[in-house]
Amino acid sequence: MLLHYIDLSWRSIRNTPVISFLMVFAIAIGIGITMTSLSVYHMMSMDPIPHKSDKIHYVQLQIMDEGNEWNTDDNLPRQLTYQDAVNLYNADIDVLSSPSFRTGFSVHLNTPDVKPRMEQARLVNKEFFDIFERPFIFGGAWTKDDQDNKPYVVVISKSVNERLFNGENSIGKEIFLDNKSYRVVGVTEDWEHHVKYYDVNNGAFNPAEALYIPFAIAPLEEIGTWGNMNGWKLEQMRGYQDLIISEKVWTQFWVQLNTPKQKEEYGRFLMAYMEDQKSRGRFQREELIYSLRNVNEWLAYNEVISEDNRILVALSFMFLMVCVANILGLLLAKFLKRAPEVGIRRALGASKQQIFLQHIVEVSVIGFSGGLLGIAIAQLGLWGVRETNSYYNALATMDVSMLLAAPAIALLASFVAGLYPAWLVCKTQPAIYLKSQ
Amino acid sequence: MLKMQNISKVYQTDSVQTHALRDFSLEVKEGEFIAVTGPSGSGKTTFLNMAGILEPFTSGHYSLDGIDVGGLSDNQRADLRNQKIGFIFQGFNLIPDLSLFENVEVPLRYRGVPAKERKKRIEECLEQVGLASRAKHLPQQLSGGQQQRVAIARALAGKPRFLLADEPTGNLDTLMARQVMELLEEINRNGATIVMVTHDPELARRAPRNIQVVDGQLADFTLYQGVPEASQPVVDTRIKAEV
Repeated sequence: MLLHYIDLSWRSIRNTPVISFLMVFAIAIGIGITMTSLSVYHMMSMDPIPHKSDKIHYVQLQIMDEGNEWNTDDNLPRQLTYQDAVNLYNADIDVLSSPSFRTGFSVHLNTPDVKPRMEQARLVNKEFFDIFERPFIFGGAWTKDDQDNKPYVVVISKSVNERLFNGENSIGKEIFLDNKSYRVVGVTEDWEHHVKYYDVNNGAFNPAEALYIPFAIAPLEEIGTWGNMNGWKLEQMRGYQDLIISEKVWTQFWVQLNTPKQKEEYGRFLMAYMEDQKSRGRFQREELIYSLRNVNEWLAYNEVISEDNRILVALSFMFLMVCVANILGLLLAKFLKRAPEVGIRRALGASKQQIFLQHIVEVSVIGFSGGLLGIAIAQLGLWGVRETNSYYNALATMDVSMLLAAPAIALLASFVAGLYPAWLVCKTQPAIYLKSQ
Repeated sequence: MLKMQNISKVYQTDSVQTHALRDFSLEVKEGEFIAVTGPSGSGKTTFLNMAGILEPFTSGHYSLDGIDVGGLSDNQRADLRNQKIGFIFQGFNLIPDLSLFENVEVPLRYRGVPAKERKKRIEECLEQVGLASRAKHLPQQLSGGQQQRVAIARALAGKPRFLLADEPTGNLDTLMARQVMELLEEINRNGATIVMVTHDPELARRAPRNIQVVDGQLADFTLYQGVPEASQPVVDTRIKAEV
């Protein structure tokens, strides 16, 4: 019977092409606008590393002396000082952790064949690759020995490897970052994340860095950050050495804690570390505070999805509702015009449910068609977003779940629009129309 | 087959009550062919709507083939119409977007008849009304008489035991009307009970039993034999004379 209803729907659509097109177009426009904003929102809000987002934690310490204020809800600085990052990493505790900060270099091969190009880089320790599960095409992360004793090593991205070495295995080859030579130890896949969740301080939707070098290089080459640096007290800065022992915060610190027990133990370790630092004259405050937020908590804390994004999605759904209201009017006109035919069907034995279902199926066919056309309009909208702002390149796209959601939302919207007209027409009393036919 | 006892139908509009049927009682036996006549506005169509379970009555008792219609839900009424009753209307009431085949198929679909059986039954019915070769045509491609024959085929498709015809020849010329009437007589001879509303005295004369509806009440020429005269309804003598 369902196929029969679909057949009847198709005939009805063919018999009223203008009104049917208007309805399909109305739902398509509504779905197109809604799916454009919803897709961006979905990409922003999706768990970036779902299988372990609850295990990877971001460390925050309350480094300020009593009476100072930070511009966060919990008064905690968003980043760590260099000295705290190094101390936490070097502490004798069995966890995977890594400090990190963003910088950049002119990358070249010191030959005339390849032009130098500015690339963003990240200083990390070898555990960073394990924590964030970076897949390697060639080689792997540097060793502890490299990190401690021969730190002029680099992990490059696939794109950089393509540009410098035509995609060939470049392990052991040398590249130059500014004027310093580094040995390639690994080539990773390009990191095409939607949200740069491991460093939201410097633009949560910026692209990933193309190079990774050991954190230990920072003091050796006096590498500055390309990210935010903040302080809470006046400090004399005469050089890089002053910076790395200052209270300026400019590094991020991630730790992998696999179980609640491990998290608890690490919390105790952090508290002990802060007590120790307090005894050395830092953290001059009554209450010592730390924070361990997992990936999703960290994204929420930083309000990666702003209120504006939510309002935009809400507005697009309201627009869809306006489209639904228009479709409702058109459906009312169309269905009520068909009341005489419904009267005949009712006289010949159709139940109210059968009439209702017939019309709901027709509405669904219109909704589904509108949904498919809406996907095309949404693709156009997303292309427009990508073209106007490259910052949203990775976000302005529809994944499979959104592609499936579009017709589902269209069906739901059309169902909402068709409910009243279908209910009204199924109540048709056959006797009224049979004589007047 | 059909038994109505003291059926009343009152239409209420604002403060005005219109009594379309008053204490209407009628019994139709299996295999009868009854012509229902009466002046315009007398309640013939209301009676037909009641008999066809197309709308509920206000009071009284009505049983069709032993089933008490008054206690049925809307869906049960639809089911009973589908199972027991065939309808033939003055305006044919074919669905214009459907072919003849599909029009005849409508009641069978709602009955849930399997496709193969449906096809066989539809072909038989269209054959019976002489339109098998035009099964794929749309109603508007046929003459009025042909359309009415399709409507008859549709009414017959479900093999109903009870056929209700409302002015089945009202929109047809004399020749076509005669053909349709002959078809109805043949259907009746095959065992179907037919109640036909008509304005045409000639057609009414061809039915074995005539009843007249006047002011929502029944005048029957044959049913009330043996019933005390005081209890009999008033008879329209003009029609009686013709019978």
